[in-house]
Amino acid sequence: MTRIPRILLLGLAAVAGCEPTATTPNPPAPTIDAQLRSLIGNWGVVPIGAMPAQNPAQVELGRALFFDKILSGNRDIACATCHDASAALTDGRSLPVGTGGTGVAAARRLGPGRQFVPRSAPTLLNAGLGLYGMFWDQRLTGNQGQFTITPNVPIPQGLPNILSAQAMLPVLNRHEMRGKPGDLDVFGQPNELALLGDQQAVEVWNAVMTRLMAINQYVTMFQAAFPGSGNLGFGHAAQALAAFQMQEFTKTRTPFDRYLERDDAALTLPQKRGALLFFGKAQCSSCHNGPFLGGQSIANVGAPQIGPGGARQPGLDLGRGEQDNNDFYKFAFRVAPLRNVELTAPYFHSGALKTLDEVVHHYNDVTKSLTEFDPSRLDADVRPFYRGDAATVAAVLGTLDFRFRRPLNLSEAEMGDLVAFLKALTDPAARNLSAVVPASVPSGIQ
Amino acid sequence: MSARSLPLGAFLLALAAGPAAAQLIAIRSVPISQSHQFDLFPSLRMGMGGVSIAVDDSLHDAFGNPAKGVRLGASSFFGSPGLYSVSQGAGAGRSLPLGTWLRSGNWFGGAALAVQQVDLSDQVQFFPPPCIVCAEPLDQRQAPVNPLPGNQIPNTDRTHGNAFGYAMLGTTFPNQGLSVGASVEWAGLHGVDGVDLLYPRSTGLTQRGHELDLRLGALKQWEGGRALSAVLVHNRFAASHNVSYLDGFWDPGTQSFGQRLRLEENQDQTNTWGAQVEYSWPLRAPGWRVGWVATTNLMSHPKIPNYEIQNIPRDPGKSQAFNLGVGLSRTANASTFALDAVYEPIWSYTWGDAASPVQTSSGLTIPAGGKTIENHFRFSNALVRMGFSQDVPFDQDAKAFGFQLGLAVHRIGYGLVQRDNVQATTRRAHEDWVEWTPTWGMSLKFPGWEIRYRGSVTNGTGRPGVRSGGDVTVATPDAAGGPILVAPSGPLTLTNVRVMTHQVAITFPFR
Repeated sequence: MTRIPRILLLGLAAVAGCEPTATTPNPPAPTIDAQLRSLIGNWGVVPIGAMPAQNPAQVELGRALFFDKILSGNRDIACATCHDASAALTDGRSLPVGTGGTGVAAARRLGPGRQFVPRSAPTLLNAGLGLYGMFWDQRLTGNQGQFTITPNVPIPQGLPNILSAQAMLPVLNRHEMRGKPGDLDVFGQPNELALLGDQQAVEVWNAVMTRLMAINQYVTMFQAAFPGSGNLGFGHAAQALAAFQMQEFTKTRTPFDRYLERDDAALTLPQKRGALLFFGKAQCSSCHNGPFLGGQSIANVGAPQIGPGGARQPGLDLGRGEQDNNDFYKFAFRVAPLRNVELTAPYFHSGALKTLDEVVHHYNDVTKSLTEFDPSRLDADVRPFYRGDAATVAAVLGTLDFRFRRPLNLSEAEMGDLVAFLKALTDPAARNLSAVVPASVPSGIQ
Repeated sequence: MSARSLPLGAFLLALAAGPAAAQLIAIRSVPISQSHQFDLFPSLRMGMGGVSIAVDDSLHDAFGNPAKGVRLGASSFFGSPGLYSVSQGAGAGRSLPLGTWLRSGNWFGGAALAVQQVDLSDQVQFFPPPCIVCAEPLDQRQAPVNPLPGNQIPNTDRTHGNAFGYAMLGTTFPNQGLSVGASVEWAGLHGVDGVDLLYPRSTGLTQRGHELDLRLGALKQWEGGRALSAVLVHNRFAASHNVSYLDGFWDPGTQSFGQRLRLEENQDQTNTWGAQVEYSWPLRAPGWRVGWVATTNLMSHPKIPNYEIQNIPRDPGKSQAFNLGVGLSRTANASTFALDAVYEPIWSYTWGDAASPVQTSSGLTIPAGGKTIENHFRFSNALVRMGFSQDVPFDQDAKAFGFQLGLAVHRIGYGLVQRDNVQATTRRAHEDWVEWTPTWGMSLKFPGWEIRYRGSVTNGTGRPGVRSGGDVTVATPDAAGGPILVAPSGPLTLTNVRVMTHQVAITFPFR
């Protein structure tokens, strides 16, 4: 009997003194939802809350301005011309046709002596969420009333959001809205906006306001939208344009957002498989992350070069590389936010790809896709502007983002699942925007 | 209560699988440490590793089988204040049970009340505060995060109270050597240790629950020391966990990140029918005694919480748990040595219900209410307990000093076959671990009263947490929809902890 307690005591001392061993349980593999939620959690992806109601008077003023061609130098193009409500607020074209053209959206044609706007018209869906940057080269950035644009434009300080800052700029662009010196407007009158110099942004804005204030209905609408503002400027118009877009173009009730809000049934199984790829193997989320699934960064994704190009190298659009001392970002363009991407074809800054399936195949092997790009897929009027020569392709591939330098080797089924997931980013309400179109505009211009 | 288990969260935290024999068999699928929160009442054998099969525990047996109240002896009062603590600040609690045993002729009975204060883990903030892991430009925009409205501040109280009540009545038929008894026990629960850690990203947790335990027992004792006992148990446990989370979202109004409160109510319900039969008898050799025990539990789990920590979809479920044990003891002079060996086979089946029709990978549709996930657990647990006690009389007035030492080793192992009916896949997993619980105790007996101390420390389990340094591994696989957290993508990782328990029991008879 004496031996037993001795052994027990020794054993007890040994057990009590030893450190507990590491505990690394091996739970069963998680379900697809657990895997997916885990992956999503890596990328700062959160649902989008409801857009608060905007000032109704500002919304109505913005609606009028958005659809009114009086903002353009030649009174021939409105915001809505290239951001067409029937085309998910794009124009459905690879490259837009600016002032001097005829027709609307995909049916629009270049006017004599005009050139395409160098980059595709991005959708305005969800442009008012508070994106970090605007334009394909992200040349406008900022928030909370402080904005930076390169090259510098004297954007009024105090604008409430980046969308209103953005709204200041198209009226300055000669290709998009302002026109060339010597242009006559649609009524045969001289285009006074075009006569101003390229450094005279404030004068251009003032000239546009002069046009607007000559119309009684606009005077009334501005006073209602900005009561007590004695000195109305184009910044107020920009604010109204932003309020309208925020009110009417915010479409975020997507199946994916419902899934983020913990509704597991919001996505179908193929969509979940696609999401697993998106946030995992396919690495889409390495760029398309954050609350907007993009919109925060720029990257050279190997998009085909189409269009008139920029200023630094004629015939080539260097994207962010158009800016001085920015060779590292040659051919880098904004990573687009992806909600409603299903509706906003064509894709990339050059509008080179027309379907999500083409986009996913492009990313599966960017080098192959760019090298073997078939320009016959482009619209006939844009086709001559395709730059597919070996030197251009090599230049683009030379600064290709490192993430695209090797094929992803996705199967056709996987790519199908990715497309299914991308279609889960569509808010059904974005499919029909006809209700936003006013019956008429104050200028009466058709 | 006492040495029995509460079936809370049957597959993740079945409580109080302490070193003592249990009529309710605990089921756990992860080695999350358990406090001995419900180990409230005095015991002679807990300091001996909880041996019970071939030795009696006259202070404690009546809580398991009310018929064993016949062994209580004279009427007495008792109090058994105790405390437990989990290392690394992962939980603590204090209990104050008070009770009485009454004896009158052939009748015996008892009543006890206990209050308990439970401190939830200090480490509920295992997880880093919300931060943003987007690309560089957005990082610059972390602030401002919208403040939470005042009426949405979650309940973050860390201390909660529980209350327990127990009553027992029995009678004995001396001529037949037969005793029968019945007991009822009720617990009102607002703080069950460890539950908060099962919701690791939560910002607040309110627990409300109760347990009702009814027992009918019989004890037959023969001349010469043979004893047969049986007890029938019905236990109903129901608790709700109101868990609050702060979910991140993008607020288009302020054009910044915001947080909003999300409340989830999880129900945890288990109903158990159990039976246990014990038989022990003395051997021819002086002082030796052997015994066996057989227990069966049939459990239904109308609702199992969907813990964040291990995302195995499961709603209802059912389990069959058994144990078969043998025990050996030897008492010589004032020394007792005892050894128990118990095998616990358990089968458990749980499943996840489809809240709405779900399309499967094969194109079929699982209707609402259909099974999306089916989990088949097969446990094969083993428990070995051994202990030694020595009483040392120190004068002729029946005064004595005693000490106890013991060790309980619990090996838990299971295989899981999980069928995902949505993806038409089957996964298999195996898990096993060993828990070591050294125990010790001391006693002082005086003619009029008795004081006992016992303690234990359980090693080999952990609590959810973050492994610091190098490769960061954080618990909880679920981060979507929440604050914008640093990737909680790794496997479940537990930080090793020790659970220390101390109890002082004072018993004094009525004069």
